[in-house]
Amino acid sequence: MPVRPTETLIHVEGGCGPEDALPLLEALQALPPRPVALAECVHLHTAVLQVLMAVRPAVETLPAEPFLARWVVPVLKDER
Amino acid sequence: MTTPLLLRFVEEARDLLQLAASGLLTLERAPDNAPTLNEVFRAVHTLKGSAGLFDIPAFLHLVHAGEDVLSAVRDGSVVLTSDLVDLLLDALDRVGAWVDALAETGTLPADADGLSRDLTLRLRAVLPEPDPQEAANAATAAPAAVALDLDWVLALPEAERLAAFHQARRGQTVLALEYRPAGDCFYSGEDPLALFRQVPDLLALTLAPAEPWAPLDSLDPYACVLVFRALTGAPRLDIETLFRYVIEQVALAPVPPEALLAVTGEPGMGPMIEDYLVQARDQASTGAWDDLRATTRLALDLTGETLQAGAALRALLALLDDPAPDPGWIQAVLDCLATGQPLAGPDSGGRGPEKDTPDASPDLVSRGAPGGLSPTARALLESQRRLLEPGERATLQGRLVAVGRTVANVLEACGQDGAAWREAVAVDGGRPETLARLLETLLETDQGAGSSDGRGGGASSGPVSSDPAFPGPAAAGGGGMAGGAPAGGVVSETHPGAPRILKVDQGRVDALMALIGELVVSKNSLPFLARRAETVFGSREMAREIKDLYAVVDRLAQEMQSAIMAVRMLPVSEVFERFPRLVRDVARRLGKQADLVIEGEETAADKNIIEILGDPLLHILRNALDHGVELPAERVAAGKPALARLLVRAFQESDQVVIEITDDGRGIDPDRIREAAIAKGVISAERAARLSPQESINLVFLPGFSTASAVSDLSGRGVGMDVVVTTIEKAGGSVVLSSVAGQGTTVRLSLPLSMAVTRVMMVEAGGGQLFGIPMDHIAETVRIPRTAIRRIKHSEAFVLRSALVPLLHLDALLGIEPQAWFGDETEEEAVLVVRLGQNLIGLVVDHFREGMDIILKPFDGVLAGLHGYAGTALLGDGRVLLVLNLKELL
Repeated sequence: MPVRPTETLIHVEGGCGPEDALPLLEALQALPPRPVALAECVHLHTAVLQVLMAVRPAVETLPAEPFLARWVVPVLKDER
Repeated sequence: MTTPLLLRFVEEARDLLQLAASGLLTLERAPDNAPTLNEVFRAVHTLKGSAGLFDIPAFLHLVHAGEDVLSAVRDGSVVLTSDLVDLLLDALDRVGAWVDALAETGTLPADADGLSRDLTLRLRAVLPEPDPQEAANAATAAPAAVALDLDWVLALPEAERLAAFHQARRGQTVLALEYRPAGDCFYSGEDPLALFRQVPDLLALTLAPAEPWAPLDSLDPYACVLVFRALTGAPRLDIETLFRYVIEQVALAPVPPEALLAVTGEPGMGPMIEDYLVQARDQASTGAWDDLRATTRLALDLTGETLQAGAALRALLALLDDPAPDPGWIQAVLDCLATGQPLAGPDSGGRGPEKDTPDASPDLVSRGAPGGLSPTARALLESQRRLLEPGERATLQGRLVAVGRTVANVLEACGQDGAAWREAVAVDGGRPETLARLLETLLETDQGAGSSDGRGGGASSGPVSSDPAFPGPAAAGGGGMAGGAPAGGVVSETHPGAPRILKVDQGRVDALMALIGELVVSKNSLPFLARRAETVFGSREMAREIKDLYAVVDRLAQEMQSAIMAVRMLPVSEVFERFPRLVRDVARRLGKQADLVIEGEETAADKNIIEILGDPLLHILRNALDHGVELPAERVAAGKPALARLLVRAFQESDQVVIEITDDGRGIDPDRIREAAIAKGVISAERAARLSPQESINLVFLPGFSTASAVSDLSGRGVGMDVVVTTIEKAGGSVVLSSVAGQGTTVRLSLPLSMAVTRVMMVEAGGGQLFGIPMDHIAETVRIPRTAIRRIKHSEAFVLRSALVPLLHLDALLGIEPQAWFGDETEEEAVLVVRLGQNLIGLVVDHFREGMDIILKPFDGVLAGLHGYAGTALLGDGRVLLVLNLKELL
């Protein structure tokens, strides 16, 4: 499961497909609000990215994957 | 192994392949036929889409390559030659074979991957190399194809913009790409972000929601609202290929270098900028670029990074990196630095090209003959007008000032009278409404002049922002997509108004027909019942009522029968549609030129008949091409056009469907046929000598006959026309061959429209047993006196109109004990004269009975091997009628 909420963080790991958008949204809406950890993430499906952009959660770690780091991270930062 | 999904796919794939193949043939003759090309492309595209549902990578790759080639053909970068058609047809054949394999085993054959790779490589070799020059050409060739608002480019991070600027200065085309995925794109399995992973040479990428985010609790994560904007140095073709499935959601435009250079930042001067400016202007005017670079670096070190002045200095440095820096631009940046205006987006964009870009300014000035505005100028004015649209009050004043100055500058540069404008700015203190209206008039009055001098946009001016065709709000803001997809985008897959068609398994129709057949038979028993009512029960009243009822049931049954027949009727085009391909292939292989003309393909006949037709027709066509049609040189020598004409004509003649295949080849030479027949021992020399020319021609129908001097792989394998005749006759049809030497040959096939109902004549033989004999075999019925029967050794014969007809006894043939015969020589025999092929044979029967329509049921089960019978039919009184197969019997 690429979206793995824990008590303190929401881990987003591996390659996220469209099916992960809803679980992520639910995790982000759940209380208490938790930051997301994206470090282990290698791809964000557009739907997942959209959720991140819309909800603008606090980001604990940023993805290390080159494409995401180069092009998606600025978007996530910008949005905040 | 095979799932219902796969079965559907197989069925669909066959249809699509057929569609694509016939489309390709049309295209070979008329390569400019855009609708057909689209059809072929769509067929292959759909095939690829459906194939994606299964794990058949080899299949998918091959179809994909085919699709790419077709797509290249469609946009004109590849010419559809005969060889390419061959290659594509080969690929389709291969795919067709795989489809068959899928249908049988559910998997591709083991060699599929290799074959796929070979064919894919051959297909891909056809595609043009992605050539940046070409892409650039394509970009400049149709600059108006996509209207893309480039304002967002200025909002890109400075570092990315400057990097892109460098690329552009080096002569590389930088493309701006705006992709607005459809809201439901996630449901069709798209991942727009993943697409961008594949964009080569991605220079910049931004994502933004197209509209403000919905409140979180009503956020639909599966509605895509993002807009993707990117800069790339990749060739346009590559990008179009990458985005070809969503091409209608993508706008592409080349970005002129100057559009990438903009100065943004917090207003404010750094320390000593004034001093720097004096020095820099001096250095710039003398072209001391190295000095200027050093000065600029120094100034930059002293200037706050976020300041606008800093940005200007960085832009200046970027310009200076050029081996031959551009004095105009440098001047522009210095100007902007000096004025310290918040040169947001369009304004600075305006200053850049308008005043100082050497690329653009000659263009601007030369086009801008008094009275007309160059496209660049128009674009600038357009963006100024947009700035005036209602927005935040706070920044209005700043915007007004900037707009006022820019417009004045543009007008001045274009040699237009800017007095009215300056007046408006001065008098009204710059009321946005007034200025906007004034700009509007300015643009409108120019419309005519602008287009009259329009030589299309150059690389530097055309693509800048709004297409003149979309003035006003349509082009405002994010509305740059108004230009829509480039021509030739993927056509919508929906086929509006397609007739509703029910696909029914043939077995069900057959079952229905069998039931109707039973009904017909049961109905036939009503007259028997009526007779019984009258004779046995003596009620004439009752008999008449039954007969009335019978009339009604009879009519309904007949209507049902014709209705079910109509269901089973298929147009002959079902068989004909593979002929163009066949003729083309065979003709090419033989080095002949032939044009196939098909007429009357809508003629319909029963499905069984249509299915039977396929192979014989194929054979006849091959024969015509192989033996009939001459080589082009021979034809020309004989005074005929080099292109031979093969005519396949289908039409209905009473209850027969007739198909004529005519060629204008060399015709059949009766003498040659005769010689060949003798040489092959098919016929004796003496008999041959007595044959008429037509009879000689008919010799080709005899088994074991083949005239081709060299046995080719096409026809003349010894299984010649006799197979055709046998097949057609089995279906109750006939074949007639006629030929005129030197002018061509016509083969005429006649077949019953439907095999469902067979007309038979009932005869009595073997002491009261009933037998049915198919009516089409019967020539006539005669009664001959026994004295007229002649005995020749063990055989009997009689003379019918001065021809000797052999006589056979049906009961003897069937192995039934002949009836004891009492009577004198004057007694007459009932003789049924039947025609078998070319021969007449007399059949002695006990009695003739009536003719009737029956539904023939072939033997099955243990009876299937029974020799001499065609099948059975039920009679109205419940008896079973055995129908004879005379061919087998005699």
